[in-house]
Amino acid sequence: MSSLFVPLALGCLVALLSALVVVLVRRPIYAAISLLVHSLSLAALFALLSEPMVAVGQLIIYSGAIVVLFLFVVTLLPTGGRELSPNGSRIAMAGVASGSLLVAFAAVLGVGAPPAKPPVDLGPYAVGLALFGPNVLIAFELTAPLLLVAMIGAVVIWRRHEPSSRVAHKPPAVVEPRHLVMHR
Amino acid sequence: MISENLVLGTSTLLFAIGAAGVLLHRHPVAMLMAVEIMLNAANLLIVLGARVNGNADAESAALIVLVLAAAEAVIGLALALALFRRKPLPDIDEAVEIRG
Repeated sequence: MSSLFVPLALGCLVALLSALVVVLVRRPIYAAISLLVHSLSLAALFALLSEPMVAVGQLIIYSGAIVVLFLFVVTLLPTGGRELSPNGSRIAMAGVASGSLLVAFAAVLGVGAPPAKPPVDLGPYAVGLALFGPNVLIAFELTAPLLLVAMIGAVVIWRRHEPSSRVAHKPPAVVEPRHLVMHR
Repeated sequence: MISENLVLGTSTLLFAIGAAGVLLHRHPVAMLMAVEIMLNAANLLIVLGARVNGNADAESAALIVLVLAAAEAVIGLALALALFRRKPLPDIDEAVEIRG
């Protein structure tokens, strides 16, 4: 366990620092890149906690798909993602809310983690059995329609807010009078 | 034991950082990034529980949370971009109603 402590501490430190950068930086492009570092450090933490399947899923789904989606959206933003600065009440509200959340969670988690049972094999075989087992099967099957609905919903939201003037009030094409040129 | 407590504390701090980010920002995309941090914190706790209890069900739940985060990001970013079409410099407080 002691051999794992230093890499775990390093991963936790990187995850915390990159999360702070995501929250505090003002430009969304830097926040998206920091989110990439954050998800990579979490994948490293999952791998250190001997959960290879979740680590690979975090790499593929999170770093590969979600963060890249964020990067695409940030490049689509007008005005480079400029943002109104937070006023004092907003800063106070954020401080109070996160502080009280921190205190509440610290009180709940203050008892500490229960002693770990001897590690069992949580490789792909065990995860596959659990995914199709009786406990998780319905949730696992429902992720398919969830993704489908999310995809269709994104297209519908995008099309609904499309400016209709582009289609409806198309200016009539100006027909230039053609000049007949007689070639000899 | 010390390592588990370290991961517990990290997860708690990450969730608080994410909550502060959601309340601090007025930019919908930045808010969504903070929500992703909160989801990651919850996932870290689930993975820690799976390891401590040696439970493969919890590990598959962590995978399902990943898929959920993907769906949430897709819908949230589509809404954010729809908001940007109305106004180039958006304030999330002004989006008081969602109409077609």
